[in-house]
Amino acid sequence: MDACIEAHGGLVWSIVLKRVRDRSAAEDLTQEIFTEIWKTSGRYDPLIASESGFVAMIARRRAIDWSRKQQRLPEMESLPEKADFPAPVETPGLAMDRDSLWKALESLPDETRRLFTLHFEQGLTHSEIAESTGLPLGSVKTRLRRGLLEARALLGRLGDRLNLNPESRS
Amino acid sequence: MNVEDRWTRFEELDAGRVLGDLDAAELAEWQELSRDFGSDDALDQLAAEVEAVLILEKPLVLPPAVAARLKREFAPAPATNTASKIVIGPWIGWAVAACLLGLLVVNSFFSSQPSTPEKRLSVLVEKAADAKRLPFAPASDSYAGAKGEVVWSDSRQEGYMTLSNIPANDPTKRQYQLWIVDPARDEIPVDGGVFDIPAGASSVVIPIDAKLAVRSPAAFVITLEQPGGVVKSKQEVVVALAKS
Repeated sequence: MDACIEAHGGLVWSIVLKRVRDRSAAEDLTQEIFTEIWKTSGRYDPLIASESGFVAMIARRRAIDWSRKQQRLPEMESLPEKADFPAPVETPGLAMDRDSLWKALESLPDETRRLFTLHFEQGLTHSEIAESTGLPLGSVKTRLRRGLLEARALLGRLGDRLNLNPESRS
Repeated sequence: MNVEDRWTRFEELDAGRVLGDLDAAELAEWQELSRDFGSDDALDQLAAEVEAVLILEKPLVLPPAVAARLKREFAPAPATNTASKIVIGPWIGWAVAACLLGLLVVNSFFSSQPSTPEKRLSVLVEKAADAKRLPFAPASDSYAGAKGEVVWSDSRQEGYMTLSNIPANDPTKRQYQLWIVDPARDEIPVDGGVFDIPAGASSVVIPIDAKLAVRSPAAFVITLEQPGGVVKSKQEVVVALAKS
């Protein structure tokens, strides 16, 4: 796990700290996330996700659940458990995926990109985004949702190998 | 609602689920629709990839103390009999390790972490070769007596303010907030945390709680804001300023 902590500690910490603005709680949650990574890493498939994407997905879910708990909202289901985290490796082909992702992000309307930056990179809540941009709260919510769906559609058109096409759902 | 409309609604709610913004009614609606349309991790995965790509442009550094604590917790447990491990079940090793490491955490975390901001500031000054010190200057006549300095380490993403002659605040009415100006990062200052000045304190040490990675801070600005702080300061009351 040392290699995993070295490789992904900054990513997990970034995801957690921007949502959990209490340092002590952030440290506890980071520990829980690495525990879950340890337990679910058997599910990691480099053909489906990048390693950082896999780690980010767990961290995001945990952080969102933490936020929902604070707001007394129902939590989401967690991933099934399975242990044995692989050592970080350079996976062939991931660079191409990242390029596709950047292309998709760059193809989004300016306003959606701005909302993505505020939400995904800076970790602002919808209310904070509304305050920062002057957009109504409902518009922030709707535009972020539609932006995510639009990004998926763009990736599908770019022929990305991530299984993100809704028509491929079985 | 026909099938196409239901699918459109399901997709929107599924995106909301991934973004973590469903309210209780929407979650119940998503659960109902997901029984018809199914659900998988694809959209979660996309959101995670997007977030990872954006964050990895400028990731925060996992604080060394937190990294060390994690590594201790996941360090291999003392050698045990492999055969009995298999018989008992794969989870038992984890359970034992968790118990042992839980004890380790309590011991090591509390013994290795200096307990007060003053002590942690001393450690930072002593150990962080890149720690920079900047003096605070008053930013308005109302705070003409404000004094102090900021100590910040880019490599450790850790810093402290030592402040004096700043009036005590009533946290239920107003709170002080620090902003870190880092032009190399963004034109918008980084929130450095909300803090209080207690009554009767001649000098206080306040830990900086930067919400985002700070690469090359050009200035530290203290403002007075509403309780809990704000996302973006109107800078109506600027208390003190430290420039590099």
